[in-house]
Amino acid sequence: MKRTASRLAYTVIVLFVSSIAVFYAIRLSGGDATAAALPGSATEEFREEFRDRLGLNEPIYQQYFTYMGRILSGDPGNSLTNNKALTDMLTEHGRNSLILGGTAFGLVFLVGIPLGILASLRRNSWADQGIMSLSTVAMAVPNFWLALLAVWLFASTLGWLPSAGCCGTKQLILPAVVLAFEGIALTVRMTRSAMIESQNSDYVRTLRAGGLSEWRITCKHVLRNALIPIISLAGLRIGQIVGYALIVETIFGWPGLGQVLVNAVLRRDYPVAQFFSLVLVALVVLGNWLADTGYTIANPRLRKST
Amino acid sequence: MNATAVESRSGEVPSGLDRSPLLEIEDLRISIASDGSSFEVVKGVALTVCENEIVCLVGESGCGKSMTALSVMGLLPRGIAKVTGGRIAFEGRSLLSLQKRELRRLRADSISMIFQDPITSLDPVFPIGSVLEEVIRSHRDVSRAEAREIAVRALMEAELPDAADRLDSYPHQLSGGMRQRVMIALAIALDPKLLIADEPTTALDVTVQAQILENLRARQREREMGMLLITHDLAVVASVADRVAVMYAGEIVEEAPVDELFSDPQHPYTQGLIRSLPDISVSKGSLHSIPGRVPPPQVPPPGCLFAPRCEHALDLCWEASPELSRDGAKSLRCYNAQPFEIG
Ligand SMILES: Nc1ncnc2c1ncn2[C@@H]1O[C@H](COP(=O)(O)OP(=O)(O)OP(=O)(O)O)[C@@H](O)[C@H]1O
Ligand code: SF4
Ligand SMILES: [Mg+2]
Repeated sequence: MKRTASRLAYTVIVLFVSSIAVFYAIRLSGGDATAAALPGSATEEFREEFRDRLGLNEPIYQQYFTYMGRILSGDPGNSLTNNKALTDMLTEHGRNSLILGGTAFGLVFLVGIPLGILASLRRNSWADQGIMSLSTVAMAVPNFWLALLAVWLFASTLGWLPSAGCCGTKQLILPAVVLAFEGIALTVRMTRSAMIESQNSDYVRTLRAGGLSEWRITCKHVLRNALIPIISLAGLRIGQIVGYALIVETIFGWPGLGQVLVNAVLRRDYPVAQFFSLVLVALVVLGNWLADTGYTIANPRLRKST
Repeated sequence: MNATAVESRSGEVPSGLDRSPLLEIEDLRISIASDGSSFEVVKGVALTVCENEIVCLVGESGCGKSMTALSVMGLLPRGIAKVTGGRIAFEGRSLLSLQKRELRRLRADSISMIFQDPITSLDPVFPIGSVLEEVIRSHRDVSRAEAREIAVRALMEAELPDAADRLDSYPHQLSGGMRQRVMIALAIALDPKLLIADEPTTALDVTVQAQILENLRARQREREMGMLLITHDLAVVASVADRVAVMYAGEIVEEAPVDELFSDPQHPYTQGLIRSLPDISVSKGSLHSIPGRVPPPQVPPPGCLFAPRCEHALDLCWEASPELSRDGAKSLRCYNAQPFEIG
């Protein structure tokens, strides 16, 4: 419990620091905000007044506090390009991203763990070697390249699946698999090595000496021990999925947070860029905290100190 | 341990072999395969353990004691070591030809084993009670409550303090000595006939070592178990053994009832070991240790494996390997045994 609480405090601090970092980064690299919102013919006075209205002429630290105050009070503002409320955008696109990211996250573990177990149980068999070679390849292939390959093969050539769109199951498959690919490969390897390490451990030898069946030992004890390192890396997987979502959502035209963020940056729509960067960072940080909590629960040595 | 203790073990129990044998190992050979090469680490070991007797297996690190013990349980590390020859029989049944299932039934129920490192030997993610229960219920058709009862009784016999309150403890909440007591409880819970203890106290605090050993011995006596105790501590041997087998480089070089082994060791290696006991040598003003090193198992020399370190080696010793020859309760593998002189 103590660990969970201290982790929570740590998470809040990380959130705070990263919000400052994101705020400054976007503000300083955003260029002229008026270029996005106003037509090219707008006069300089009009632009100046516009900046004033948005508070852009205040000192930047003051802007930060004003801005965070607004976010915390539930009104982060509107898009510069289409004047949509950011909160509405968050619900709409957030939902899409949650579907895609959640599916990918599920795939990472629901596919990765069983494959890893299979490889560990059939060590050095053709199945093991096949799975391991595939995972090596999967880790080496860049995400965007995989996305393009998938579109070319399954959409353009075979015509099995749509190349882009939202938000049915058919449209979901390709981006979710691409998003999960590297995570699956990493989880397979992690699972396999954790299973093998546990199989060779002294405590498994004790259980064998106790006359338990191999099946029982594997399903209960080996697996349960192997889950600890796997869960400990779940936070990393979340970060990876959020990061890759920018690319994958853009390529597959999946209208999630990542796509919105990329478009906002391209259009210099800084309120959107800023807000959604913050949202994604918060997602990663909170995801890590959740994963850490899971790790603490899975590992009796951390649960309580005696 | 002092010199008087070495002498004080009187033959309160008649030295083995006149009772019915529980475990009989004959000409056991175990090979290790690593990086493509394969070599023998146990070279024709013969060993018998009878009911109600403690046989100690001694020898320096790496001589093959653990491999011998693990092979009895069928627990040699997979893909690394395997039995390549010989016979292991428990109550007359060959263990090497048993089905996996039958062997599993014997484990913990008839033959138990305690390992050297109690810190790593217990599953860290389950409470000790649940593992005990699981082992008990995999052999006996009892309810969970009954299994818990058996578990508590075993923990109490292993002298774990507050045994009944410890069932829900995780291994990390227990000290090394307490964990070894849990291992003992696991080993004796089902009343096995044979207990193999592989250096059960080596990893523990000196203060705990004697208590654990005392406990093991008490349980062995009251249950009349046969016990194979592996150690490289001659003081331990002197205090608990009925019979002693001395192992060197994968072979048994000498075997004798404990009193005879200490009072009249025959093999030059045994003599060296006994001379190196601190009390005896300190009184002579110098610490005796056996010079030289064990030949590497990958390239064993021809002839007696001890010849490079032996002060009595003959020409013959370098050419031919002596056989283990039996003489009553004693066995010896040596061409040129000399009377024992301290010093
Ligand atoms: N996993 C392994 N891989 C390679 N060689 C091994 C392995 N385990 C043991 N050996 C070798 O097998 C031989 C016998 O090992 P064993 O563990 O039986 O020795 P031991 O007598 O129990 O020693 P100790 O007193 O150190 O426990 C040693 O020489 C060792 O080098
Ligand atoms: S056989 Fe020879 S070399 Fe070997 S121990 Fe006996 S005397 Fe020494
Ligand atoms: Mg050993």
